[in-house]
Amino acid sequence: MKFHWFNLMPWPHLPDDFRETNRSVWVDVDSRLYDPVEGHRVYNEYLDQLEFAAGLGFDGIGVNEHHQNAYGMMPSPQIMAASLARRTKDVTLLLLGQSIALYNPPTRVAEEMAMLDVMSGGRLVAGFPVGTSMDDNFCFGSNPATLRDKYRENHDLIRRAWEDPDVFSWNGEYNKIRYVNLWPRPIQKPHPPIWIPGGGSVETWDFCAEMGYNYSYLSFNGYVRGEALMQGFWNRLGEMGVEFNPFQGAFAQQVVVAETDDQAEQMYTEHLQYFFDKCLHVYPGFADAPGYRTENTIRAGLRAGGAQGLGIAHTLEWKDWVREGYIVAGSPDSVAEQIEALATKLQVGHLVTLLHCGDMPDDKARASTKLFAEQVMPRVKHIWEDYEDHWSPKPIGSEQVATPAPVLTGSN
Amino acid sequence: MAELKTLDLRPGGQTAHVWEGGDPGSPALLFLHPITGIPRWGDALETLANDFHVIAPYQPGWGPAKDDLPGAHDGLDLVLFNVDLLNTLGVGSAHVIGVSIGAWIGAEIAAIRPDAVQSLTLVNPLGLWSEQYPGEDAFAQHPGFPTAVLFSNPDKRTELLMADRDPMDAYVGELLDLRASAKFLWPIPDTGVGRRLVRIDTRTLIATSEHDNIVATEMGDIWRAAIPGAQSVQLSDSGHIADLEIPEALADLVRNFALEGVTA
Repeated sequence: MKFHWFNLMPWPHLPDDFRETNRSVWVDVDSRLYDPVEGHRVYNEYLDQLEFAAGLGFDGIGVNEHHQNAYGMMPSPQIMAASLARRTKDVTLLLLGQSIALYNPPTRVAEEMAMLDVMSGGRLVAGFPVGTSMDDNFCFGSNPATLRDKYRENHDLIRRAWEDPDVFSWNGEYNKIRYVNLWPRPIQKPHPPIWIPGGGSVETWDFCAEMGYNYSYLSFNGYVRGEALMQGFWNRLGEMGVEFNPFQGAFAQQVVVAETDDQAEQMYTEHLQYFFDKCLHVYPGFADAPGYRTENTIRAGLRAGGAQGLGIAHTLEWKDWVREGYIVAGSPDSVAEQIEALATKLQVGHLVTLLHCGDMPDDKARASTKLFAEQVMPRVKHIWEDYEDHWSPKPIGSEQVATPAPVLTGSN
Repeated sequence: MAELKTLDLRPGGQTAHVWEGGDPGSPALLFLHPITGIPRWGDALETLANDFHVIAPYQPGWGPAKDDLPGAHDGLDLVLFNVDLLNTLGVGSAHVIGVSIGAWIGAEIAAIRPDAVQSLTLVNPLGLWSEQYPGEDAFAQHPGFPTAVLFSNPDKRTELLMADRDPMDAYVGELLDLRASAKFLWPIPDTGVGRRLVRIDTRTLIATSEHDNIVATEMGDIWRAAIPGAQSVQLSDSGHIADLEIPEALADLVRNFALEGVTA
């Protein structure tokens, strides 16, 4: 099993009455709550944590894209990944991901991801989410009725831009480019591994099956609720004749570790409460623009009872979060047991851990991360060791890796 | 008695799903539905059919035409769809009533094919944008009751739109009708029709509803000022979907204006 360290990069200073005084953490959140100077400190702290995790032996470090919100402050994952590319050596850069439907031309995405793959020596995972309705439709104004068509076209254009060595023309519905000729080109051939972050769309399962992509279920409902959905994905792959390989699946999970179960509860409850109460406080009218979900997905959701789970997480307590799987938490022993249960239920080979939660301060994030890396990972890495991972990067050899020169100052 | 027909507009071309009612010998009336489509042959259409040969198509993307949305890209495609439909029915020109998004389509038809429009009644028209009078965002509503804001009272959504229909089909249909509307109105309902309104030389009446959360009554003045010779009135006791909320009053308004030139 492989483990990735991911930070949503939430704004950690939302007021206690945020939920009562703001209708949403996303789209129309009060920008006066943001302080750019404090933002400077926070960005550097979060990037330091990602690099810390790389040093502790996590397989990957992750960034993603969101807009106009206090939940995750990375409008451009490429900028964050570029920073990490220079200061890390062999860890996977999990760019999970870029909402490719938003960009015109999408060759810009192909270019930037190629740059990252080259800069990092072939360590990039390219995540291609459709993106949230909040980001795509309400913040970027992308039309929900055509979003998925545009996504497919942009995907096809990016793939061809990476793979076709000749200059070609693209006369699409949403993009018309007379000359496409990417410079630079990705190191990884034919392209960096592509992961598709999704939230349960049945069309996305089929897409992953057809294209051979990794499906990454990004939900904060936790692994207990995630079981049915991931099983749906695996079943669909089976129906389509795709051989099971756990590394074709990834799952994102909040994780906190302390020396004991009680200590974990004492240390982390307030930060998880901050996350569930404030960071997930999204106005329902921004969550699902008309046309964002397909008719099939709407009907499947209604047949399943429309249960979301997230709407109640902020009303629960520690023991409920653990029992329901919203969090994997406790001592290293407890967490290892829960990871084994998660792996069994979800059958995923990649676990994207969120070891920084809500407004967690740096020392706690590092303590939790260190315990996970040193006392949990060694006990669970063997899971799925009989399977070959085809969805991780294939970097260049260490002898070919360029080392950034030390920064010279005026005195030296 | 009305009939829901499926017509091929031309060989190899588009299909139309259209309610047709009233005496074919009566003056033709093209009804262009609002965001919520045509949930049924309702009281407004039934009343209008007393005086008109009513032609009420589902625009591409709405109701039974839900799968036709990809073929309709913009207002011009919708104009051609409706003009082709009239031609297929052998109707050279018609009185036109459009509600909500249908009013935008009606204005486009009148601007582009003035010969096809005998009179134009635009009710709670979408398609122009004013920073001063933005109205509620029809597409940023709670998914549990996504069209409630379109009514003067949220309970009227259940009573007038969802009643007598399979609950799941009605809800999915509601979302798909909103999807179709979003295709043409997202993210800001500025369709560009404002550049063409000056071309309209048909008798035109603008009506706005006093309880419309989406189209402010002041927008009626903006539309009236943009269309040469247009008149305007205000409707009482209705929200945005006037054909469902005040069907008889709306039918009276259309009949009086289209056939007698009376706006009171």
